[in-house]
Amino acid sequence: MIKATALREKLVLPAIGELLLSSFRPLLGILLAFIVSAGMIALAGANPIQAYRALIEGAIGSPQSIANTMVRASPLLLGGLGAAVGVKAGLWNVGIEGQMYAGAVGATAVALIPLPVPSWLHVTLSMLAAAVFGAAWGLIPAYLRAYRGVNEVVTTLMLNYVGIYFASWLVHEPQPLAEPDAFYPMSRIILPSARLPILLKGSSLHPGPIIGIALCVVAYLILRYTPFGFRTRLIGSNPEVARYTGMNVNRQILFVLILAAAMGGVAGSGEILGLKLRLYDFFVGGVGYEALAVALLVMGNPLLVIPGALFFGGLKSGAASMQITTGIEAPMALVIQALCVLFVIGVGFAERRWIDRRKQKVTEEAKANGY
Amino acid sequence: MDIDLLLNWLQASLRLGAPLILVSIGEVYTERTGVLNIGIEGTMLTGALTAVAISYFTGNVFIAALGAMVIGGLIALGHAYLTVTRRANQVVSGAMINFFALGATNVMFARLFERERERVAVFPVLSSDGLREIPFLGQVLFSQPLIVWIAIILPFISAWVLYRTVWGLNIRAVGDHPQAVATAGLSVIKHKYLGVLMSGVFAGLGGCALTLSELGYFAPGGMTAGRGFIVLAAVIVGRWDPVRTAVICLFFGAADALQLRVQALGGIIPYQFLAMIPYLLTIAALAGLVGRTVPPKTWGLPYDPKEY
Amino acid sequence: MSMDDQLMLRMEGITKRFPGVLANDNIHFDVRRGEVHGLLGENGAGKTTLMNILYGLHRPESGEIYLNGKKVEILSPANAVELGIGMVHQHFMLVEPLTALENVVLGISPERPPFLDLEPARKRFTQLCEEYDLQLDPSTEVWRLPVGKQQWLEILKQLFRNAQLLVLDEPTSVLAPAEAEQLFKTVRRFAEEGRSVIFISHKLGEVLEVTDRITVLRDGHVIGTVPTSQATRPELARMMVGRTVILERKPREKIRAADPVLLIEKLCCKNDRGLPALKDLNLALFPGEIVGVAGVDGNGQRELAECIAGLRKPTSGLVRIKGVLVDHVIADPSLLGYIPEDRRKTGLSIDLNVEENLVIKDYERPPFTQKGMLRWGMIREHSTNLIRDFDIRTPSPSVPVRHLSGGNQQRVVVARELCAKPALVVASQPTRGLDLAAVEGVHDVLLRERNRGAGVLFISTELQEVLSLSDRIVVLFRGEIMGDVAAENTDINLIGEMMLGHRIEELAA
Repeated sequence: MIKATALREKLVLPAIGELLLSSFRPLLGILLAFIVSAGMIALAGANPIQAYRALIEGAIGSPQSIANTMVRASPLLLGGLGAAVGVKAGLWNVGIEGQMYAGAVGATAVALIPLPVPSWLHVTLSMLAAAVFGAAWGLIPAYLRAYRGVNEVVTTLMLNYVGIYFASWLVHEPQPLAEPDAFYPMSRIILPSARLPILLKGSSLHPGPIIGIALCVVAYLILRYTPFGFRTRLIGSNPEVARYTGMNVNRQILFVLILAAAMGGVAGSGEILGLKLRLYDFFVGGVGYEALAVALLVMGNPLLVIPGALFFGGLKSGAASMQITTGIEAPMALVIQALCVLFVIGVGFAERRWIDRRKQKVTEEAKANGY
Repeated sequence: MDIDLLLNWLQASLRLGAPLILVSIGEVYTERTGVLNIGIEGTMLTGALTAVAISYFTGNVFIAALGAMVIGGLIALGHAYLTVTRRANQVVSGAMINFFALGATNVMFARLFERERERVAVFPVLSSDGLREIPFLGQVLFSQPLIVWIAIILPFISAWVLYRTVWGLNIRAVGDHPQAVATAGLSVIKHKYLGVLMSGVFAGLGGCALTLSELGYFAPGGMTAGRGFIVLAAVIVGRWDPVRTAVICLFFGAADALQLRVQALGGIIPYQFLAMIPYLLTIAALAGLVGRTVPPKTWGLPYDPKEY
Repeated sequence: MSMDDQLMLRMEGITKRFPGVLANDNIHFDVRRGEVHGLLGENGAGKTTLMNILYGLHRPESGEIYLNGKKVEILSPANAVELGIGMVHQHFMLVEPLTALENVVLGISPERPPFLDLEPARKRFTQLCEEYDLQLDPSTEVWRLPVGKQQWLEILKQLFRNAQLLVLDEPTSVLAPAEAEQLFKTVRRFAEEGRSVIFISHKLGEVLEVTDRITVLRDGHVIGTVPTSQATRPELARMMVGRTVILERKPREKIRAADPVLLIEKLCCKNDRGLPALKDLNLALFPGEIVGVAGVDGNGQRELAECIAGLRKPTSGLVRIKGVLVDHVIADPSLLGYIPEDRRKTGLSIDLNVEENLVIKDYERPPFTQKGMLRWGMIREHSTNLIRDFDIRTPSPSVPVRHLSGGNQQRVVVARELCAKPALVVASQPTRGLDLAAVEGVHDVLLRERNRGAGVLFISTELQEVLSLSDRIVVLFRGEIMGDVAAENTDINLIGEMMLGHRIEELAA
C-alpha cells in the first residue's frame, strides 16, 4: 500500500509541475520566440546578438531607458488588465483599442474644463470620466453577450473602429474639443491642472505605470479576496457549476465585461493625461491590441500582467534603439511579441496532455491501493 | 447633383470594394467550417507587400498575384495548424498573425525598397476606347482593372461551388455538425484545413488587389487600415453567403468611397460617421435587429475528434 | 446450407476496454440474414460500444468480425458504409440548416465529381419514400422537420446507401406510439427484403414485438441469446438484471415520521429536446428513509433531480421541500443537499482547488465572507474539518480538484452538500465511475444521513445498490412511476419488469 507521504509526493509533484509549467510556459514560449526572431533578424541582414544587445540596452540600459520602458508599459498595464480580467471570466475583450479612444475622449473633455479644484482632483475626475466612457463602450457587447449570448469577440472588435472614428470626429474642427487651425487633427491641449506630473526630469515618465501596477495588484486582491472575484473565477472555470450554485451568471458576465471595458478606458486616459497632453487623431495606433497580447501571454493572471506589460514595453523601447544601432526597423518588436504569444499558446497543449496522463497513472495506482 | 460625381463615386465603390470581396470569398469558407480567422487583416497586408515585391522583381502582375496567394496560403496553414490540430484559441492566433504581419512587412519593405518607392507593374485595365464611350457603364465598369472584374465574377463562382458541389456541401456541414460529417465517413479535419487555407489564399489575393489594382506601391505602417475587419463584418451581415457577402462588401466599399469624398469636399455628415456604418451594422445584425443572424453552430469552437 | 451461410454478421471474442471499465468482455454475437435481432441491456451493459465497434468508431482490443463469412477490418465509418453497414444513432447526425436531400447525400461520392448532382438523388429519394410509405419532402430543411420525421430521415439515409445490415439505436425514444408502429412495420419489411436489422432497445414490449431473436448484454458480456418466440418477459428481465447475490442490506431501524420532507405532485416537465420527460409524477418522501429510484438511464432521472433542485422549470405540477415551494435554484443548504449526476460538469469546478469547491455555494455567507472580504482562514478551517470528516484524500486543501481521483472528487461534492445537514438529500448516480471502496463510502454516508433523520432520494441505474441501500424503491420508466415497493424481501424480477415498462398493477396478477 502506498504510504500517504509517497502518495503526497506523487500527487504534489504533478501539482508543482503544473504550477512550474504555468509560469514556465510563458518563459519557454518567449525563449522560442526569441530564437526564431533571431533567425529573422539574421535573414534581414543584421547580427542577432548585436540586435538583442541593443534591444536590452534600449529597454533597461539606463535610467532614461527604464523610464521609457515604463512609459510604454503604462497603457499595456491598464489595457492588459482590462483584457486579463475578462480572460479570467472566460470572456474575450478584444475591444481595448476602441475603449482606449472612448476613455481618452472622456478624459480630454473633463481635462479641458477649467475646474476650481486641486490638480489631483482634476486628474482623478478626468480618469473617472475615462472609466465611464470606457464602460459605455463595453455596455452593448456586455449586454448582448450576457443576455443574448452574442459572441463578444466580434462586438468588441467592431466597436474598436467606432471608437476610433468617434474620437476622430471630435478632434476635427469644428468640434469643441478640437484645436483650431491644427496641422494634424488633435484636441486642444489639456489644462495644466489636469496633467499628470513628470516623475523623472528629462524623461516622459509619469505616474501612469505606477497606477497601472497598483491596479493590477488591486485586481489580484479582488479576484482572490472578494465574493465578486470568486464569482468571476467561477464563471471562467465552469459556468455550469456557477448556475447550479444559484449565481446570477448573466449579471456577473455583464459586470465583468463592463468593468474590463472601463479599465480599457482608463488606459486611454493615462496616455492623454500623462504623455501626450492632447488627443491626437489615431493616437492609440494598435496599442490596444498589444495590451490584449499581454493579457494572452500571461493567460489572464493580473499579477503576471505586470511583468508581461513591462516586458512588452521594454521590447518597444528597446526596438527604437535597436533600429538606430542595427538598422532593424522598430516594428520588429511586433514580430517578437506575436511570436511570444503564439509559441506560448502553441506550446501549452502537449504538456497539458503529459501532465494529465501522469496524473491519471498516479490516481489509478492510488485507487488500486484503496484510496 | 453632378452626374459625373455620382459616376465617379460608383467607379470608386467598385474599385474599393474589390479587395474586400476577394478577401471575403475565403473567409466565408473558413467560417462555414467553424474556424474564425481574424488574421485576414495581416494576411491581406502580407499579400499586398508580396505582390508589390514580386511585381517589382518580375514585372509580371500575374506571377505577383500567384505569389500573394501562396504566401497567404502559408500563413493560413499556420493558423490552421494552431487552431485545428492544436485546438488553440482562434482569436489569439488570428490577432497575433496581424501583429506578426505588421512588423514583418515593415521590416521586409525596408529591406526590399531601400530607394524611394517606385511604381511597379499593375493589373491592366479592361477596356477599349469604344467601350469607354458608353454612357454611365463606360465610366463605372469599363475603366476598371482586371482584378475588379475577377472580384465581380468570383462570388458567383464561389456560390456555385458552395451550393452545387459536393465539396461545398461538406463545407456547409462541417461547421454546423462535425459529428454528422464524421459518421458519414468524411474527414472533418481535412475540410477545416481546406476552409482555412481558402481564407488565406484569398486574403493574399485581396491584398494584391489593394496594391496592384491602381496604386502600384506599398505604403508601410498598416496599409490595409482595418479592411480585414470590415470583411469579418461583411461576412456576418452577409450571413455567410458568398454573393450576399459580396454585395455587402460593395456596399461597404461605397461607404468608404463616400466618406473619402465627403472628407475632401466637406459635407453635412461628418465622414467619420459614414466610416462607422459597417461596424455598427454588424453589431445590429448580431443583435438581431436586421433579421436572424445565426452563425454556423461550431463557429469559433475547437473540434475534438475523440468525441467524433 | 451450413450455419455460416445464413449468417450476415458474426462478431467473435470482441473485447474493448476503456480507462477504468471493461465495456465489452469477449462478446460473441451473430446476426442471420433477413433477421431482426434485438440487443437488450441496461445502460453501461456494452450495447452502444459493441455497435460503435461495428461501425468503425472504435477498435477492439481483440476479436474478429465476419461479414457474410468473410473476415473484415472496420477501421472507420467510411469502411462500415462500404461494407453495407448502416447505423442510426441515438443522437441524430443531421445537419439542420441543410435540406433532407442534402443530408442524405452527404458523404456519398457523386457520379460526376465535383458536381453535386441532386436530380438522380432526388429521384431515388422520392422513390424510396414511396416504397416505404414515408412522407418526406426532400427540399425541406431539417430544422423544420418534427423529430419523428428526422428519425425517418436517418433511416432513409441508410436505405439510400443500400445498407444490408442496419443498426437502430433506441429508435423509438423520440417516436409517438403510432410512429413506432410504422417503424416496426418498416423494420419487418427490411427483414423480408433480406436485410438484417440490429434493434437496440431497453423497451421489452417493443423488442418482443418486432424481433426474431434477442441477445441480452449485462456488464459487458452476453448473458444469452434466445429466439423471440420462446422468450418470456420474466426470463428476459431476469437476464437483464441478473440474479447475482444482492449486496448485503445494511442493518437499520425503522424511523416513523409524519410530514414528508419532499412532496411532488403531478409533476410534468420537458427534457432538453423539448419532449416530455416527466409525466404527472407523484412522490412523497419522509424523513429517515431512503427512497431508491430505479430505472434504465434516460427515463427521466436527470430531469427529476433537476426539478427538485430548482434547476429545471416544470411545465406543470409542483415540488415542495419541507413545505417550501421549489421555483428557483435551491441555495439554502439546510433544505437540500444535491449530489449531481455529472460531478465534473455540474458538481465541481475542475480548475479551482479543494477548499474553493467546498465553499462554492456558501462563500458569500459569514463566516466565509465578512465585511465584504473572503476570509480564507475560516475557509481553510472549514475545509480541513470537512476533509477529515468525510475522509477526502488530498495532500492539502489547495490542490486543484482535477488532481484528485474520482472517488475523492465525489467525496468533495458529498462533503459540501451534506455538511449543513440538509433535510433532503438528492443523490443522482453518486457512485458512477467509482471503484468499490469509494462506492462503499458513498453508501455509508447516505445511510448515515438517513439515520440522522434526513430524507434521501437515491437515483441510480445500478439495481444492486438500489436494492441494498433503499427502504423503498420506485421504478421510473418514460417519466412515470411504474411502482412503489418496500425494498426488503422484494422480488428483483418484479423490479426488472417494471424497469422495462410494466406497471406494478399489471404484474401483480
